[in-house]
Amino acid sequence: MAVSTRVADRPGFILHSYPYSETSLLVEAFTREHGRMPLIAKGAKRPQSAWRGVLLAFQPLLLSWSGRGDVKTLTGAEWQGGLPMLGGRALACGFYLNELLLKLLAREDAHPGLFDTYRAALDGLAGAADQAACLRRFELRLLSELGYGLSLTHEAESAQPLDPGSRYHYVFERGPMPYSVHGDVARYPEVSGQTLLAMAHEEFANAAVKAEAKALFRALINRMLDRQVLHSRQLLRDLQAFDEPSL
Amino acid sequence: MNPPSSLEELVQALRCLPGVGPKAAQRMTLHLLQHDPAGGTRLAEALKKALSNIRHCEQCNTFTESALCALCASGKRDPALLCVVETPADLLMIEQTQAYSGLYFVLMGRLSPLDGVGPKDIHVERLLRRAGDGVVREVVLATNFTVEGEATAHHLGELLRARGLAVSRLARGVPVGGELEYVDSGTLAQALRDRRVV
Repeated sequence: MAVSTRVADRPGFILHSYPYSETSLLVEAFTREHGRMPLIAKGAKRPQSAWRGVLLAFQPLLLSWSGRGDVKTLTGAEWQGGLPMLGGRALACGFYLNELLLKLLAREDAHPGLFDTYRAALDGLAGAADQAACLRRFELRLLSELGYGLSLTHEAESAQPLDPGSRYHYVFERGPMPYSVHGDVARYPEVSGQTLLAMAHEEFANAAVKAEAKALFRALINRMLDRQVLHSRQLLRDLQAFDEPSL
Repeated sequence: MNPPSSLEELVQALRCLPGVGPKAAQRMTLHLLQHDPAGGTRLAEALKKALSNIRHCEQCNTFTESALCALCASGKRDPALLCVVETPADLLMIEQTQAYSGLYFVLMGRLSPLDGVGPKDIHVERLLRRAGDGVVREVVLATNFTVEGEATAHHLGELLRARGLAVSRLARGVPVGGELEYVDSGTLAQALRDRRVV
C-alpha cells in the first residue's frame, strides 16, 4: 500500500497539461527534487480558478501536492516570477525542450542538475542569448544526465587525443572513430575533431560547430527516442512548407 | 449478454455532452421519457437537423447554414480588417464587445506542438488564401494568451507578414477596473514588460 505523501512549495515547471474531466487538468510537472511528476489540478479549468494564469509552461513555480499512488493531487501552485513569458522563436525552442523532457525522462526520477540546466536554458531563450547555442548546451547536458555522456576528447579504441583537423564518425555508445568510407563505422554520423573538442568545452559560437553539433545531437536523440516523433520539430518543418514559392 | 436497451443507449448517448456524468444522463433520460416526451422529440429533430445542415462558412470557417455566414455576407463590415480567433465562442465574445467592425477567420483550434496539432489541423492554408485576397490590409491575431495560443499567433504572424500584410496582436495587461493589489503577479509582470508610452 502506497504511503500518503504531502510535499510543500517545491520548485518546478509545468511541461504540459492535458484536459482531465470537465473541470480539471492533468499537469506534467518537472520538479527539482522529485523529477517529472504527473499531478491532477482539480478545478483548474473553471472560469474563476485561481490557477488560471499560474499553471503555464516556462514559468518558475512553487508546487505543493499530496496523495498516494502514481498520480498525486496538486494542492498549491505559486508563481515565482523572474522569467519573462517566452515569445516567438524562443517559444518554439521551449516546446522542443519540454517535449524532450516529456519523452526521455522517467517519472519521479530526480535530476536536480538537469533542472538547473533547464532553468538556465529558459533564461537564455528568454534573454537575447544565442538560441541554437542554448539548445545544444541543453542537449549535451541532458544526454550526460541520462547516462549517455559523450566522449569528446579522445578516440574510442586507441584512446588517442582527437585532432581538430581530422574527421571522425561518432559511434553510438562508444565514441569517435577515425573517418572511414567503408565498414560498420561509416554508418555513424560524421563530425570533425574541431566540433567534438568545442563541444567538450560547451562552445557553440562557431557556425560550422553549431551545424555539425546539431546534426550529431539529432542522430543521438532520435536513437534515444526509438522512433517516437518529435512533434515540436515536425511543426517547424510543416510551417516551413508554407514558405515554398508555390504559395 | 443482451444488447443494451433503448433506455441504456440513451443514457450512454447523453454522456457525450460536457459536464454530463452517468447520474445526470440518467436523470435527463428519465425526465424526457416520463415528463416531456414531446420535448424529447423536438430535441431529437433539432439535433438531427442541425447536424445535417450546419457546415463551415466558406470565408471565415465558422459554423453556418448557408455558404457564407451572416457576418461575412452582411456587407456592413470593414473588409480590410481580419480578426483570427481560435473558436466560434471567441468570435461571439469579440462581437459582444461591439468594439470590432472587421471580418473574422476561425481556426477551430490552435497549434499545439506537444499534442501533435499542426498547421493542417487549423486550416492555415485557407487562412493564408483568405488573407491574401487583396482586400485585407491588417490581420488581428486574437488567439488565447496560453503558450499554445502565443505560439499560434507567432507562427501565423510570420507567415502573414511574409505576404506583405500588417499584423497586430491583442494587447494584454491589467483588466478594466483591475486594482493592482488583486491582479495576479504573472499578469502584472507582463503588463510592466508591455507598458507603453502615453
